[in-house]
Amino acid sequence: MTTASDPVIVAKDIRKRYGDIIAANGISFEVHRGEVFGMLGPNGAGKTTTVEILEGMREADSGDAVINGVNVKDDPTAVKAMIGVQLQQNAFFDKLKLSEIVDLYAKLYLAKVDPVEILSRVGLDHRKKAKYAELSGGQKQRLSIAVALVNDPAVLFLDEPTTGLDPQARRQLWELVKNIQKNGATIVLTTHYMEEAEELCDRIAVVEHGEIIALDTPDALIDQLLATGFKPEKRVREATLDDVFLNLTGRDLRD
Amino acid sequence: MKIYLALTVASLKMYFRNKQGLFWALFFPLLIMIIFGIMNFDRYNSPDVGVYDGANNDASRLLIQALRGSDEQELLNVTVSSLEDIHDELEFGSSRAAIEIPANYGASGQFAEIKVTYDERFPQERAVVSTILGQVTDAVFKEIAQVPDEYRVENAIGISESIVVGQGQGFKAWLIPGIAAMAIMQTGLFTVVFTLVRFKSQGVLRRLKATPIGASHFLAGQLTTKAIVVVLQTYVLVIVGALVLGVSVGNGRIGAWFDLTILALLGGALFIALGLAVSGWAKNEETAAPIANIITMPMMFLSGVFFPLSVMPDWLTRWSQYLPLTYLADGMRAITVEGASITTLGSELVGLGVWIVISFAIATKLFRWE
Ligand SMILES: Nc1ncnc2c1ncn2[C@@H]1O[C@H](COP(=O)(O)OP(=O)(O)O)[C@@H](O)[C@H]1O
Ligand SMILES: [Mg+2]
Repeated sequence: MTTASDPVIVAKDIRKRYGDIIAANGISFEVHRGEVFGMLGPNGAGKTTTVEILEGMREADSGDAVINGVNVKDDPTAVKAMIGVQLQQNAFFDKLKLSEIVDLYAKLYLAKVDPVEILSRVGLDHRKKAKYAELSGGQKQRLSIAVALVNDPAVLFLDEPTTGLDPQARRQLWELVKNIQKNGATIVLTTHYMEEAEELCDRIAVVEHGEIIALDTPDALIDQLLATGFKPEKRVREATLDDVFLNLTGRDLRD
Repeated sequence: MKIYLALTVASLKMYFRNKQGLFWALFFPLLIMIIFGIMNFDRYNSPDVGVYDGANNDASRLLIQALRGSDEQELLNVTVSSLEDIHDELEFGSSRAAIEIPANYGASGQFAEIKVTYDERFPQERAVVSTILGQVTDAVFKEIAQVPDEYRVENAIGISESIVVGQGQGFKAWLIPGIAAMAIMQTGLFTVVFTLVRFKSQGVLRRLKATPIGASHFLAGQLTTKAIVVVLQTYVLVIVGALVLGVSVGNGRIGAWFDLTILALLGGALFIALGLAVSGWAKNEETAAPIANIITMPMMFLSGVFFPLSVMPDWLTRWSQYLPLTYLADGMRAITVEGASITTLGSELVGLGVWIVISFAIATKLFRWE
């Protein structure tokens, strides 16, 4: 069985094609308990595909995804019961109040929770009577995190949680993620914002064309880059993670 | 069980918060019912009679033509159909007389006895029909026989009259169950299609897929909600319709409500399943709406909701009798208008059952979360 030191997530040689497009081309990594693991990459790199295979939302062509000792292929329902998921595109019943949405989702996991308490964790308790459709973008993202927390998940997956948010909302969400980590959750987070990865993640996998092209702590990645003799263009100070990212993936516009 | 209850309660809340859904479920059918009801198609100038043409020869056709009268002066509003149908129509109040032309009508040298049955409750129409029939047979006889009055055998055409007590309450009573059946179809199909397709295109269903519940849980919750709505809606429509249009339901038999509930649930299941099938297939509202309309529109007119199937050409009713809404409308009408019990509804129940199985098979095959 699993012990505390075992990785909570093991991804082994995950592959997935969509016709000619190779969305995941042999992705392998491990995530440890209590870690915030970032997947960093441009649009279309294969982040969502990888994460959704781990969540049991999509089936891999080959390879294994193991969460808490359970292979997703063998028992997707058991895996779904253990994890919390924020999809890249989230939508909830728009005629229900926030407290009703949280309550409903809690019941889907047979979890006993106080919806208002969950909402207060993401700072939405004052909006508990509002309908989903009435929320701002940042509030919607926070609600989807609240819903992902109803089953006290062992692993929380956040797929681009801050995309489309303004800087204030983004920083607010960072605080939220840090708090959730402090409470002991393991978090997998995808982003294409460098400062976000640097701010939140213990380790980062840089993904490009369905492959992990670098995997380390943010500091180590920067150090490795500097060790190659890299000089940031403008500032003569130390490089930022932005530089690591652009150096690894190129500067071309994507999408 | 808990999960299923939670989903059902949540979707009930959503349903009743959706004012538009309520409008389609209740106000629209009520409006149609009342408009058609107060138009009062019962008040034809010429009485409706059903004719069974047992002879089907030139002579009998001439007789029917004569009963209809001329363009300037319509005598009787004649519908020619089967022996069974003309008596049913008399019994249930959609006609005022059933006229049977015997097989030997018009055969030379034979005595042909025309049988007429009247509804006791309409003595005026009876007198009108009786008089017209007497005059017309008289005139027709002279014409086909080409004989002068003095050689005419008095009773070469005889008329025998009998009387039944019909139970029908006319068009108004006939209309209510049909509209209620139509409303079941509309609610079942449209509310399911629109909620599910919207949930699907918004990604709500995809988000549910990320939870440990299966599609069956979610669909069961949806089904229950809509079934509750369908039954409540049927009660409201039948009660309000009966009050406003002043007719009785199932001749006052209390069991009629139980039977109606069963039929509403069967009809609900059928059309909900069809709705699930459409929403499983369609990606968004734009593709779902036309499909739902293509399914419902023809049935509104071909299933005997607004007017009886007997007024439509035979080649059409040969097919339309198998439509799901026909079975539902006929069944509900048998209970509310004819005072029948559900145990006597053979073909309707079989028809509904077959359609339910077909629709569910399609629905489970086509359902997708995203
Ligand atoms: N359902 C799908 N059907 C076809 N192609 C897909 C599908 N999902 C993803 N892809 C393709 O796979 C690649 C990786 O996509 P995705 O995993 O969404 O990337 P990311 O999340 O990093 O932006 C993209 O080229 C995308 O177009
Ligand atoms: Mg993505």
